[in-house]
Amino acid sequence: MKLRKRQTAEAVPGSRHAATGQAIDRRTFLRNAGLAAGGAAVAASLPLTMMEKAAAETAGVGRQQVEKKLVRTVCTHCSVGCGIIAEVENGVWTGQEPAFDHPINLGAHCAKGASVREHGHGERRLKYPMRLVDGTWRRITWEQAIDAIGERLLALRKQSGPDSVYWLGSSKHNNEQAYLFRKFAAFWGSNNIDHQARICHSTTVAGVANTWGYGAMTNSFNDIHNARAILIIGGNPAEAHPVSMLHIFKAKERGAPLIVIDPRFTRTAAHADQHIALRPGTDVPLIWGMLWHIFENGWEDRDFIRQRVYGMEDIREEVARWTPERVEEVTGVPESQVHQAAKTMAENRPGTFIWCMGGTQHSTGSNNTRAYCIFQLALGNMGVAGGGTNIFRGHDNVQGATDLGPNAHTLPGYYGLSEGAWKHWAKVWDVDYQWLSQRFDQQRYANGSGTPKRTMNTSGIPVSRWIDGILEDADNIAQRDNLRAMVFWGHAPNSQTRAPEMKQAMEKLDLLVVIDPYPTVSAVLHERQNDTYLLPACTQFETHGSVTASNRSVQWRDQVIERLFESRPDHEILYLFARKFGFDDEMFKHIQVQNDRPVIEDITREFNRGAWTIGYTGQTPERLKKQQRNWHTFDTTTLQARGGPCDGEYFGLPWPCWGNAAMQHPGTPLLYDTGKPVAEGGLPFRARFGVQRDGVSLLADGSYTEGSDIRDGYPEFNAELLKQLGWWDELSAEEKRQAEGKNWKTDLSGGIQRVAIGHGCAPFGNAKARCVVWQFPDPVPVHREPIYSSRRDMVEKFPTYADRKSFYRLPTRFASIQNIDYNRDYPLTMTSGRLVEYEGGGAETRSNPWLAELQQEMFVEINPGDANDAGVRHGDMVWVEGPEGGRIKVQALVTERVSRGLVFMPFHFGGHYQGQDLRHRYPAGSAPYVLGESCNTVFTYGYDAVTAMQETKVSLCRLRKV
Amino acid sequence: MARMKFLCDDERCIECNACVTACKNEHEIPWGVNRRRVVTIDDGQPGEKSISVACMHCSDAPCAAVCPVDCFYTTDDGIVLHDKNLCIGCGYCLYACPFGAPQFPQDGLFGVRGKMDKCTFCAGGPEADNSPEEFEKYGRNRIAEGKLPLCAEMCSTKALLAGDGDIVAELFRERVIRREGANEGGRRQSGAPWGWNTAYRKS
Amino acid sequence: MHGTGKLLFAAAITLLAILFTDPLFAADADTWRQIRHGAEGYSAVQGRESGMLIQSTGQDWRLLRNGPIAVLGAWGLVLTLLALGGFFLLHGRIRLDAPRTGITVPRWSVYERILHWTTAILFLLLMCSGLLLLYGRETLLPLLGHGAFSSLAAAAKTAHNYSGPLFIVGLLLMLIAWLGDNIPTAVDRQWLKSLGGVTGDRHASAGRMNAGEKGWFWLLMLAGIAVSISGLILDFSNFGQPRSLLQISHVIHSVSALLLSAGALGHIYIGSIGTEGALEGMTTGRVDTTWAEQHHDLWYEQLGRREKKS
Repeated sequence: MKLRKRQTAEAVPGSRHAATGQAIDRRTFLRNAGLAAGGAAVAASLPLTMMEKAAAETAGVGRQQVEKKLVRTVCTHCSVGCGIIAEVENGVWTGQEPAFDHPINLGAHCAKGASVREHGHGERRLKYPMRLVDGTWRRITWEQAIDAIGERLLALRKQSGPDSVYWLGSSKHNNEQAYLFRKFAAFWGSNNIDHQARICHSTTVAGVANTWGYGAMTNSFNDIHNARAILIIGGNPAEAHPVSMLHIFKAKERGAPLIVIDPRFTRTAAHADQHIALRPGTDVPLIWGMLWHIFENGWEDRDFIRQRVYGMEDIREEVARWTPERVEEVTGVPESQVHQAAKTMAENRPGTFIWCMGGTQHSTGSNNTRAYCIFQLALGNMGVAGGGTNIFRGHDNVQGATDLGPNAHTLPGYYGLSEGAWKHWAKVWDVDYQWLSQRFDQQRYANGSGTPKRTMNTSGIPVSRWIDGILEDADNIAQRDNLRAMVFWGHAPNSQTRAPEMKQAMEKLDLLVVIDPYPTVSAVLHERQNDTYLLPACTQFETHGSVTASNRSVQWRDQVIERLFESRPDHEILYLFARKFGFDDEMFKHIQVQNDRPVIEDITREFNRGAWTIGYTGQTPERLKKQQRNWHTFDTTTLQARGGPCDGEYFGLPWPCWGNAAMQHPGTPLLYDTGKPVAEGGLPFRARFGVQRDGVSLLADGSYTEGSDIRDGYPEFNAELLKQLGWWDELSAEEKRQAEGKNWKTDLSGGIQRVAIGHGCAPFGNAKARCVVWQFPDPVPVHREPIYSSRRDMVEKFPTYADRKSFYRLPTRFASIQNIDYNRDYPLTMTSGRLVEYEGGGAETRSNPWLAELQQEMFVEINPGDANDAGVRHGDMVWVEGPEGGRIKVQALVTERVSRGLVFMPFHFGGHYQGQDLRHRYPAGSAPYVLGESCNTVFTYGYDAVTAMQETKVSLCRLRKV
Repeated sequence: MARMKFLCDDERCIECNACVTACKNEHEIPWGVNRRRVVTIDDGQPGEKSISVACMHCSDAPCAAVCPVDCFYTTDDGIVLHDKNLCIGCGYCLYACPFGAPQFPQDGLFGVRGKMDKCTFCAGGPEADNSPEEFEKYGRNRIAEGKLPLCAEMCSTKALLAGDGDIVAELFRERVIRREGANEGGRRQSGAPWGWNTAYRKS
Repeated sequence: MHGTGKLLFAAAITLLAILFTDPLFAADADTWRQIRHGAEGYSAVQGRESGMLIQSTGQDWRLLRNGPIAVLGAWGLVLTLLALGGFFLLHGRIRLDAPRTGITVPRWSVYERILHWTTAILFLLLMCSGLLLLYGRETLLPLLGHGAFSSLAAAAKTAHNYSGPLFIVGLLLMLIAWLGDNIPTAVDRQWLKSLGGVTGDRHASAGRMNAGEKGWFWLLMLAGIAVSISGLILDFSNFGQPRSLLQISHVIHSVSALLLSAGALGHIYIGSIGTEGALEGMTTGRVDTTWAEQHHDLWYEQLGRREKKS
């Protein structure tokens, strides 16, 4: 058999990248070069050195030596942050070696990670800029594209203001690009910018940060080794984060019981000691049900609660209502199971609590995530090795992009959008605040609460709602006009609900721009004829920069190959647009630009100068690169380097990495671990919510980090506090000048942080975690039925929120939808999730033949009972129809994996729409190998009341035989 | 002398298919040919188990026994390889193999199958180690580079092990003992790894 | 075949050992029993039976093919040749009882002869290529070396796979052409009793086909159907046939083909050097009246009557 002969990419005449930009695979390369791979291969250290190292065949006569290098990089699929060793010969990515000595993945990969080298082929990539001319894709040059798009955007800005353009960023950008993207939108003058975190873990970030300060995974994948019990709710790491299972199994094989709570018997559940199948959307009742047993039996950690938790009494009151009978009635889980799970968690401490989108993607997502946190607080599982809330994030850099990048509600580093926040960043950027402010719409708009504000200070439209930003009556939107242009910059629209309305919205736009390595569904869903552009972006293997894994570890990712075809890295495209808009000088004042390309390291240094809140200040390019070169020196459980150049540092300098680089903070491996000094990675809970509430102190009570000079709770540090404590004079003269009137977040000298940490104190204060978030619609997390619920009796008892006139600038419906009984016509509950082979909207992974071959057909999982009711048999095609009119034709997979009344669909497919194959609409040669219906064509309206997260884990549907 | 074997730990395999794509990646395997696959039994039901399977490089290889042109050979490491120059594509190895390892690029009329392709334990074929000819026919020769099969090296949970049979078996045995210690009275673990009796029982 | 007995024995022991002493088998009895017996699961890898972990029938097939089929087949062919040789030595050629009259009568039409020889050549091709695939490795390969033998085997396989369907066409046409002549009659019993006149002292009467020819015809047709159907299943395996079907087909194919081969050896012997005057009928189409009277008296009489009528 001849191995498949790959076509080299078509040569692009006249292209300046024709010579270097072609995709060449290893085979072609070997043939062209007439030489052998291997031979000179650098010996990898094998974990199982069970064979004598075979004598490498020396290169034969007449074979010339090739330049072969090993590049260390990081997988671009999920947020586990697996290290990759790429073999590159003469610029061609010829091999992929396991990074056995990488502390997070130890050489392991999932199907996606094991096939990233396909990026070097890139056969289905978008190859050059294209423009839709009367319905036909026409190739254009980059210059034409930037010029034409730029002119249109400027015209729209003039007519409808800067908020009429939506900049949809990406969690696939590296930290530098994500940060630059946020900065770009600021200079453009709008907060209409967002990225996928909104629809994946926004409710986590909001819920968790509002509980104890930071909204991120508290421990690490590796730290799970220390867990004595593992609880996973609404997560299927066996498919979504397979390499995390390496660490989970390690704990499990040490005796930690594994509990999986999921409506579906997932691949992860198959390995669990206990699987609890709850009714979708009843997380809060189930957690309260477990807590009921914990309180009933006195299993809670009273000392921990007394010292470090505020408001647990209010929780007790709510939990008392969730008797076992009531829990069973609402969740469908019998008392024995709930009791067993509670007992397991109580008897095996510390236990870790893992969740994913099964918990977050609900209209009550922010309640769910807080309930999870409260559960861990009650058991005293926080701030200890083996405990924590281990929130597995999604995309490779969704954590970094959330921390630094495109968010509708905040500037980099969660500074928010207040005037103070803007002034802080204006100072970091070295631009005049007034000038920056002038870039924004000057009018004020009522946004539902308080006084009317300028759009500069109000959250933009979130990514989950851009459709409404286009379709909603302009008078109802808290900005000047509708959205009139969308720039999809690394976003899969099929990961969003309400496709029929999305299609309509796309067609209504004045201008639609897609910037992506792949055309994505944005290129084909609509029937636009003109004013639509596709610009090819590079993948992360064609550039370099830092990337933040789920555990807050920041890693340096090296460039593997030169850019393919005519693609350009995102930061270069940003620069080109900035130049077109005329703010390039201001925006790149402290960032060098070489050949139109901003220098990545300069961008890193810039956010190092500004992101004090979350300690993104110590991770300089130099430190990150040094760690990358020495990743073998880090312990695989603690993630701490033992000896070597990084001695004592934690891998990836997990944020907060306090102070400036000179402080050499090692990073914080476990959040809120009081067992270590702050200087060595210890932390109390953050004093973020004031010092007292209704006369009750919010500060920690007798709990403090190791070596703290203040042996009790304390507020966050500012210049005033330093003076009161008599520590002010420990600042240098220069530091004093900069720190005067500032706090730990805004002091650009870093002096306040340095002095506080010098005294063993956390710059952000030492407070209690709070169980009651008084700013939220539900201060104590309560159960509310999903917007589309199959249980009318429950809707009566646990109704959702009232509709809101303005929420993230838009009218938002809750009760008015829930009040309608759709259940009679749509009796099945519908949920969605992941497949291991694909990621996100799947444009990238479905274009990788090694992955696409494994999942060629979109399907719906149906319980045999429901299948029989619908007259559908395994393998039949079936219509899945949703209550908002969307319908998709998919293959029926009849399985007991889903319980009666529940259907499940993966969300990675796209390229079919309501039975229609859209393959012909892709530019030639760029359609993914596998297309299929998007489940989100059927998924419906419904948004979280705090973050506008879409509700994709519960809706209704019915089945109809084709 | 080392005797190379594969071992798949079904307590750890999560059907992530990394072994499948790692193989595709390393050897540029075309669409439709899969030297390795993961099979899940009792899919979606309690007791669900997944197992990664490919050529097991059997001690008494049935494929070799039935090949009419004697194109198989066993290396000193116990790896069962074949010579595509000799293979006539008759399919007998496919009939005989217990594991469904032999793959054919075609499935045409008149028995046209093309040359058989299968897992080489990343040890290439009879051509010079890592020559372009060898790569074209069999993929990369990692063994010659002193490395082990990529599927096992990249396994997400280290469920799939490859290497000297004695060492692999010892690793697995230790793991079983640890698990049994951890889950006293819990799920009992089987004594021999999956498929070993079929593949490696000495006749 | 070398060590076939040993192999069979070892295989039997292995099977027994697997069934009764396998610790796996004892541990997760149900699951593993299912797997061992070819229970199918799910696999993301598409393909024929990709969900089957272990197919147990492969081992059975291997043991049958390399064991009884190959061994008995070889013995069968060798014994057939020995028997024919012995017969020739013992009885010599069956001569004409009377001198040739020089007058010939038509026995096989042009169509019949073309049909016979075409099918015969196809048969020989199939037989030789088939035997090559079954025994070549043990016999020719050591002589030719791997490379040359592989080329030969590849040619043999190709020839076999393409000529097979043509042979089936020939077979069907033969069935149509000669079915009427091959209906067994009372005369055939007599013919058989005297083994066509070889043993009895009485002359054996026969119609156009004697009982021996009828026996060959029916062997050809029945084994031919078996060999054809199984051959088609093997030759066009692109319809997703499971391996178990291919294995069964292969067993049926080889057994019936070996039977046919043995039969064909007898047929060729009798039709050529075994019987004086037989071959010329199939070459020229006509036979001497002496031959006709001696071997097919009833047919000859019938021929005479028909001639008189006309």
